[in-house]
Amino acid sequence: MRAWLDLANNTLFVYYLASNLIYLLLLITAISRNTWHRHRLASLRLERFKISPFTPPITLIVPAHNEEAFITDSIRALLTLDYPSLEVIVVNDGSRDNTLAQLKAAFRLRAARLLYIPDIPAAPVRQIYKSDVESRLLVLDKESAGSKADAINAGLNAATSPYVCVVDADSILEKDSLLRIMAGVSSDSQRIVAAGGIVRVLNGCRVSAGELKQVSLPRHSIEILQVIEYLRAFLIGREAWAYFKALPIISGAFGIFRADLVREVKGFRPHAIGEDFDLVVRMHRLLQEQKRDYHITFVPDPTCWTEVPGDLRSLARQRARWHKGLIDTLWPNRDMLFRPRYGRVGFLILPYMWIFEFFAPIVELIGYTSIVLAFALGMLGRQFFLLFLIFGYAFATLISIGSVLLEELTYRRYSDWREVGRLLLFCLFEHFPYRQMTLIWRLQGIWQYLRGDLRWREMKRTGVSNAGEQDA
Amino acid sequence: MPDLGFAGLILKAILFSLAGIFLLIAFIALRRWYRGRYFQRLSERTFALRSQWDGILSGAVPAESWRLNNLDCEIVESILLASIELADSDELSTLLNCLRRSGLLDMRIHQARVTTGWKRRTALVALGRTRAPEAIPALAEALDAPEEETRIAAVRGLANTELPEAAIPILDCLLLGKRSIPEHTLKNALASCCRHSPGVLLRYLKQSSGRPRELLARVLGELASSDLGEDLILLATDSDAEVRASAARALGNLQPSFALPVLSVMVGDKEWFVRLRAVVALASIKHALRIRPLLHALCDPNRYVRQRSAWALAHIGSNLDDILTQVVETKDNYALQAFISELERSGAIENLVEALENHPGQNAARNILLRTLNVCRQDIEQANKAFAAAGGAK
Repeated sequence: MRAWLDLANNTLFVYYLASNLIYLLLLITAISRNTWHRHRLASLRLERFKISPFTPPITLIVPAHNEEAFITDSIRALLTLDYPSLEVIVVNDGSRDNTLAQLKAAFRLRAARLLYIPDIPAAPVRQIYKSDVESRLLVLDKESAGSKADAINAGLNAATSPYVCVVDADSILEKDSLLRIMAGVSSDSQRIVAAGGIVRVLNGCRVSAGELKQVSLPRHSIEILQVIEYLRAFLIGREAWAYFKALPIISGAFGIFRADLVREVKGFRPHAIGEDFDLVVRMHRLLQEQKRDYHITFVPDPTCWTEVPGDLRSLARQRARWHKGLIDTLWPNRDMLFRPRYGRVGFLILPYMWIFEFFAPIVELIGYTSIVLAFALGMLGRQFFLLFLIFGYAFATLISIGSVLLEELTYRRYSDWREVGRLLLFCLFEHFPYRQMTLIWRLQGIWQYLRGDLRWREMKRTGVSNAGEQDA
Repeated sequence: MPDLGFAGLILKAILFSLAGIFLLIAFIALRRWYRGRYFQRLSERTFALRSQWDGILSGAVPAESWRLNNLDCEIVESILLASIELADSDELSTLLNCLRRSGLLDMRIHQARVTTGWKRRTALVALGRTRAPEAIPALAEALDAPEEETRIAAVRGLANTELPEAAIPILDCLLLGKRSIPEHTLKNALASCCRHSPGVLLRYLKQSSGRPRELLARVLGELASSDLGEDLILLATDSDAEVRASAARALGNLQPSFALPVLSVMVGDKEWFVRLRAVVALASIKHALRIRPLLHALCDPNRYVRQRSAWALAHIGSNLDDILTQVVETKDNYALQAFISELERSGAIENLVEALENHPGQNAARNILLRTLNVCRQDIEQANKAFAAAGGAK
């Protein structure tokens, strides 16, 4: 027993240290990359990019399922995005509310008998609508297959542009976000096959008619903690992993893909829980197998604002679902692990995802138990016990503050002193007790996955623009 | 400190982490404070310099009074560069004179030549924004820089000048193929520099081969003017399909009497994307003679060519009933379906039916339309159902 506890404690220590050292390395890399990117932007003239005849067309695919609260404003906002050649395809995925009726009324939709060829299998399309007032808009009304991936696939079948961008109906893209992300893609269009932009927390911001008017921190602590998480995940994690050419995920809320490649991998997996992660891993797989020179990248300045859960119940569901999505993708692709043909994806990022993402809650749970047991059995001195806890807390907090620093050094979306002060203050609470709460939710996710419970549980949303100008 | 063994190591790690936390917070606070002060000073000095702006421009305020102060120099340069972007030719010469007289231009040229890294790139960006011809040699030298970022900054700088002379070093660099530069950046730069003199591109196109040739043809396709007429005919018969496609695109910008005969031949090209480009070009030429080649393209074996041709025909606006009759006469059901679909998509179908109903003499055309419309609708619905069933089965 004692030997086992010793082993468990030592393993936990090494695991924790390794996890934080990796994040420290990612932080340093991200600071350097973000600074580089900012310098590069100095010579880029977006207005020139906008008027260039060589700027490629984009199709925005907007899957919508029961989105009556904000679908009209969202689509209006998307149609006003600053991009020269844009097509917007809204996929009404069997909504039971008035999503379609609202779209019909707002955009004067009329049924168009267009030939729709489902190259990628998707649930049947009931009707295709064109707008009398907006020629760039196409609405597909399809039967629901119970997954967002299926709706996106239907959109992909109708898309006509060389690039597709998937956007959530409840998210808000900044006006120049498409120009910025495509400027990143065009910098190496032969090799870049997909790119993700940064996703930020919309809660607390002032929104009017689907447009972001003012950036502010949310009021509730649970939302502020998610702001820190998002900053860390995007500004540090995505940026650094992209630099190492091993970006494992492009957020489903805002990502751009080469349409031909997405079709080549047969689109999004219809019943994938984390369809965004699953698609990127399958793209890596195909491109590595074909030995193609490619790059899946992250561009840190194009911004998408999205609503995050504002209550513990919704947050718990979201985190459980994310963890289910993780295993749902890692398990079918386990054959890529440590196989030379998959390069750094097989040797670097997938092992990292298994060890430091999927197993994290399990290792942490075992670790907490063994430490408490060792302490109770007198194997661990009180001094050592406390030191260990303080170390774990302090190191992780350092990384969190590092993500706030990175935001300060680069994009500074929270310009007010008090907001930055609050962010720094909440960094102190992220690793106790918030981290332990997410641990439980992630364990729930594993448990649900093992039980075969793959249901999508609704998240409570306030809506970003229900009635004119308001705080989200 | 007593030897604590493993606990000592952890203690050190804690101290390191706490020191890191403290330093990061202190850095954020100090940086915010410093930036606040900097922007306050910037605002004050900008106001002061703006109030003497006419004097600065004319030279009545001696350059020494602001050139030797870093902040003032930065402010004046940024105002000058911003003004240059919006200036017409008269204003431009005044602004450039100020840059030259004050030595700011020479300073940037010097920096672009002797500095490295970000300083050099900043100088290159500023030089490009001046739109001054004397900036071109320094920008051209940077095209040989070992770092890609510097080369990109140089190309973007040359593009900003919008001068045809600035295209020459880019074209030389492209043809020699010494250093790689992203294609999109190159194309935009060439388009920007050669907008008013695309003939420069043609000269280089004749000397080039392979990928650079395709790239030049693509840019030329966007910029071609009537001056290039006969050369474009040569390109339309080029052995490289990409070049032919670009020539087709370019022909869309020329006089119908010149372009139509060539494009009418090109709709029969062996490559589908050349035919597509020819159809797109035909769509942009407002001339009655385009209908026949478009009808030919409507029967093309390639779906995209058919669709584009249908789009062009459906958007002609007048004589749709005649066109409909000619489409029916092709006896090509794919062509008919594409045309009717496009009429529906464009919303022209109701007007057409109404127009036919108001002209009893055109009963035959009306019947054809209604019959084919009905058949097409059924066809499309059946096709969609079949595809949906196939998709479901998969």
